[in-house]
Amino acid sequence: MFEDDETLQMYIEESLDHLGDIESDLLTIEEGGDNIDIDLVNNVFRAAHSIKGGAGFMGLNTIKDLAHHLENVLGLIRNNELTPDSTRISVLLKGFDKLETLLRDIEASNDVDVSDHITALEDITKSSLPKEQQAMVSQMVDIVLADGRIFQHISLYELEKYKSEGKNLFLVEYDLINDIQRKEKNPIEVLNSLQKTGTIIDSRIDFDSVGTLTVASTPSRIPFQVLFASIIEYDMADTLFDINKQYIHAITDSMIISTSAIEADPKPMPSPDRKEAQIQPETVVSTKSPAKKAPATRAASTKSPAKKAPAAKKTAKKSTKAKPIEKDIQVNTKPQTSLRVNVGLLDTLMNLAGELVLSRNQLLQGINSSNIKATEISGQRIDMITSELQEAIMKTRMQPIANILNKFTRVVRDLSQQLDKTIELEIEGKDVELDKTILESINDPLTHLVRNSVDHGIETPMEREQMGKEPVGTIVLKAFHDAGQVNLVISDDGRGLYPEKIASSAIDKGLVTEQQVSEMTEKNKMELIFMPGFSMAKEVTDVSGRGVGMDVVITNIETLGGIIELDSTPGQGTTIQIKLPLTLAIIPSQITSVGNERYALPQVNLNELLRIPAAQVKEKIETVGDAAVVRLRGELLPLLNLAEMLGIEKTYPDPKNKTDLPERRFNTADRRSKHHLTVEEALTDKPEQEEVVEREQKDRRYHASSAINIAVVSAGAFKYGLIVDQLHDSEEIVVKPVGRHLKKCTAYAGATIMGDGKVALILDISNLAQMAELSTISEAGQLAKAAEAEAAAAKEQVALLTFKNGEEEHFAAPLSLVERIERIPTSTIEKIGDKKVVQYRGGALPLYELSQVADFNPLPEKEQQEVIVFKVKDRELGLMVTPPVDALELSLDIDSATLKQTAINGSMIINEHTTLLVDIFELVKALNPDWFGLEEKIATEMAEDGEKIILFAEDSAFFRNQVKGFIVEDGFKVIEAEDGLIAWELLKERVDEIDLVLTDLEMPNMDGFELTKRIKNDPKYSHLTVIALTSLASEAHLEKGKAVGIDDYQIKLDREKLMKIVRKYLNLS
Amino acid sequence: MTKTSKKNPSKDVEFSTFYVGGALCGIDILNIQEINKNFEITQVPQASHYIEGILNLRGRIVTIIDLAKKLNLESAPKDKSKNHRNIIVNSEDEHIGLLVDSISDVVLAKNNDIEPAPSNIGGVKGKFFQGVLKTETKLIGILDIDEVLKES
Repeated sequence: MFEDDETLQMYIEESLDHLGDIESDLLTIEEGGDNIDIDLVNNVFRAAHSIKGGAGFMGLNTIKDLAHHLENVLGLIRNNELTPDSTRISVLLKGFDKLETLLRDIEASNDVDVSDHITALEDITKSSLPKEQQAMVSQMVDIVLADGRIFQHISLYELEKYKSEGKNLFLVEYDLINDIQRKEKNPIEVLNSLQKTGTIIDSRIDFDSVGTLTVASTPSRIPFQVLFASIIEYDMADTLFDINKQYIHAITDSMIISTSAIEADPKPMPSPDRKEAQIQPETVVSTKSPAKKAPATRAASTKSPAKKAPAAKKTAKKSTKAKPIEKDIQVNTKPQTSLRVNVGLLDTLMNLAGELVLSRNQLLQGINSSNIKATEISGQRIDMITSELQEAIMKTRMQPIANILNKFTRVVRDLSQQLDKTIELEIEGKDVELDKTILESINDPLTHLVRNSVDHGIETPMEREQMGKEPVGTIVLKAFHDAGQVNLVISDDGRGLYPEKIASSAIDKGLVTEQQVSEMTEKNKMELIFMPGFSMAKEVTDVSGRGVGMDVVITNIETLGGIIELDSTPGQGTTIQIKLPLTLAIIPSQITSVGNERYALPQVNLNELLRIPAAQVKEKIETVGDAAVVRLRGELLPLLNLAEMLGIEKTYPDPKNKTDLPERRFNTADRRSKHHLTVEEALTDKPEQEEVVEREQKDRRYHASSAINIAVVSAGAFKYGLIVDQLHDSEEIVVKPVGRHLKKCTAYAGATIMGDGKVALILDISNLAQMAELSTISEAGQLAKAAEAEAAAAKEQVALLTFKNGEEEHFAAPLSLVERIERIPTSTIEKIGDKKVVQYRGGALPLYELSQVADFNPLPEKEQQEVIVFKVKDRELGLMVTPPVDALELSLDIDSATLKQTAINGSMIINEHTTLLVDIFELVKALNPDWFGLEEKIATEMAEDGEKIILFAEDSAFFRNQVKGFIVEDGFKVIEAEDGLIAWELLKERVDEIDLVLTDLEMPNMDGFELTKRIKNDPKYSHLTVIALTSLASEAHLEKGKAVGIDDYQIKLDREKLMKIVRKYLNLS
Repeated sequence: MTKTSKKNPSKDVEFSTFYVGGALCGIDILNIQEINKNFEITQVPQASHYIEGILNLRGRIVTIIDLAKKLNLESAPKDKSKNHRNIIVNSEDEHIGLLVDSISDVVLAKNNDIEPAPSNIGGVKGKFFQGVLKTETKLIGILDIDEVLKES
């Protein structure tokens, strides 16, 4: 074989380049059917032709043969002698595939047997010809030159074809040494230029004549023979070929001799053997005869989708599981080493490089002459140029995604034929560009996803019709830019994913337990398909079902810094969205620091930054077991302390002697002060600011840095908060690999060089999560939800307002009764008799304090007074309290015995303080008994008229007593029930007595909704008014309640409103 | 490349020598890329104990190995302002720095001058030494760079 590496490399690249577009061209030709697009056919024809031309020269005989036969068929199509139907195109496609395989493994190409392809191609050629010519196709002839040398093994059919086109045949003998090398030409260029004036039928190097020369006489000539067909006449030929006329032989009929005739020749030239003797076991099913072609094609194309994924190598390498399966398609494993770049872009780069040099000179000049202004200006210039340069260089790496997406037309075509499905593939956004490396690595996952869509997603036409869908399935491949990322969407309108089926399949495979599944949402269940070892297929087919796949897809995409999202509607289809960074080399990152080192956190993983002020750390950060969590918008977010994870010894600069002292805090929530700062203090910063003078700016105890900085990050199924010491800027960083000694430190994705020349490590978010053995979001979420649900089942969530009376006594009141919280100057408070009032919104607001009604300490005198304004009986009153005033939601666990007194419901522990719950009504009643005159009147009236009886269902003893208390106080009689079921039983027994039903919504055994439904659906009871009591009413609740027939909703502790409604429904007052 | 010294017994080899934890060691000078005093080292938490950190060497990330720790030798306290140096060696297409206490002379010797290491520096330490080289005044332990740079 030809040994010149450079030329060979050039040939391979050029050929692969030619092959690049062939597939889509062929598919378009196939679509066109009889309406042949000559340009397209010519394109493909030329590709085959130039590959053939070069191959002959390189001594790549197998490639030459194959290309030659492909060319023949294409020639027939071009001349309208052959209709490009699906089977023929299939043969061509496979032929070109093989050609590509051969080219990619050029060393071994001559030993590969391609006879199946060749036979198939010959069959096509023959089928288009009249009988008598058919024999010619496979008949080989030799050309005997005047000097007796033989140019062997030419297809007679081809020679005849050119002759019939009126072309002259020449055998041109170039000399590699004199004619090509000495003239500084390149053999490929020569071939290319020849093609402009005619057609190269065959070309080869006459090794034989080289071989006969002895070492002593240096070879003067290495003949390179080209069999050439052209309309040019013989006498013009020498000018065309630029060689001496003696080496140009015009070929006449007499020189053409049938192969069989010279077989006896004792000294034939070493024939460019076809190596048919060395047939190796073939993997591709052979196509024996045209009649059998169709089924054979299908069988053979089984292999092609896999074959179409040359990048499968990466996956194969990664997971050994995948390897044996794709063994038969071990295509080339070398990644592309060279790249085509737009010349314009190169010019830009050149230009920028020039600018850079210029600016550097200016900078040096400026520095030498200590001209600060000039230095600054050139600094700016360099800044600009570097950015532009970076952009331009990145552009050279950018390739249109069409390179990959186009292949799927073929994959889908072959696969759908094989599976007897009709599928239309729509590709959008072909011009979206992606970094070359990403592009190469995305091929595999994409192939897998598309294959899945075809195999599992789209149903057979029959199934589709039964489902009432179009028989033709659609798969959409879409690429688009969004928010600095490339989005790839693969959606099909197939059968979709059935969460339950997936879940049960996963249980069968032992990947999850039933327990786990029972806690999963539908989405979580669907995401089970990403688990290693998961497979839905009952049988292992060629296409899928081996249980390797989706997990590989997700790992591949995550290595690229991408995200994958799954969305599916059972019966409607599946959409998979992949988000990818534009490039891997430069990534935007958030710079953070822990201790003395900086760490870069890829922006892709970053969701938000959270800063918890020092004063709130204790409240916001909770610990579950030994793990810290923060509640972020209702979700529990696990916290990881980066310093702890990496075992960084925390130090802080000692303010006195400026040495680093080891950090003494261990827990995130540890604070130095015994009681945490109040909101007020944190806001004014007064005590801290006085100390600032003594403290170093860097001192972490300085109030600003005492806050906790959290980067909320997510990677795949993980989401957590990463606690770092400081958050710095967001920067674009260049990713550099770290040395082999650090490969096992999985916490880092690499390193980068910061502006000051120091190195910063890049954190690997998903590995960090794994290191911390963090459960995935779904699990964590489920745990949290389960815990919450449990808690909610036991107790109820109530919104409370907490405040203090003096420094020591803690109180809480139901938030629903609170109108406002005001801060008024003490000087505006007027004393009228023993009452305090303040001018407020054009009226007088009476002010009270707790010490007036119960045994509490009087409030200390202050300049400003915090007042909680309550509204009772349409009148406002203010309760003077001591801050902090805070609203919180918690489950009530009230001890209503120990600390019970006037205006106090009971006590409970809130934030480690014994807190007393204030009963505002009792308070008001104690202070203004006359406000309640009306109620008393009704109560008396009722006592006279006969009592109204209310059935009250409530599971919480506290609420039951509270609510019952004030209903009874107002003169009603109450029948209590501990849950809905008991209430229902009671109702059935005593329906005649009961006038109204009051029910809690969340109850064990039977909830309020069910109870209401039963009441409203039974004509015996449906006349009863049902009022629902709830602590938290959401829109959804209201809807649901209305649907079952609840007449009204009331907040549990809003006594006044509740009683008003009760009276309204009972037609009292 | 690092094994060249073993192949040609009579060939002259230059050894760059340096002190590590009180011991005089040497390596084939051809393995050395450069020697510098760059101590802007970024620590890498969780790396092996002998990894001093990583360093920016003109845009390349270089791992710095504390040679004394790697060889289990007592090391002088790292007062980086003094004689400490990074010897940057080229190994498997990667630059790796060896942090040493101080640099000494370059010694010219023949490969067959190197004698096998005495048995009392056997054991764990022993595997890091190719042998010893005796000069008129000093005894130089010749390091087996490949072994030293093995990641473990």
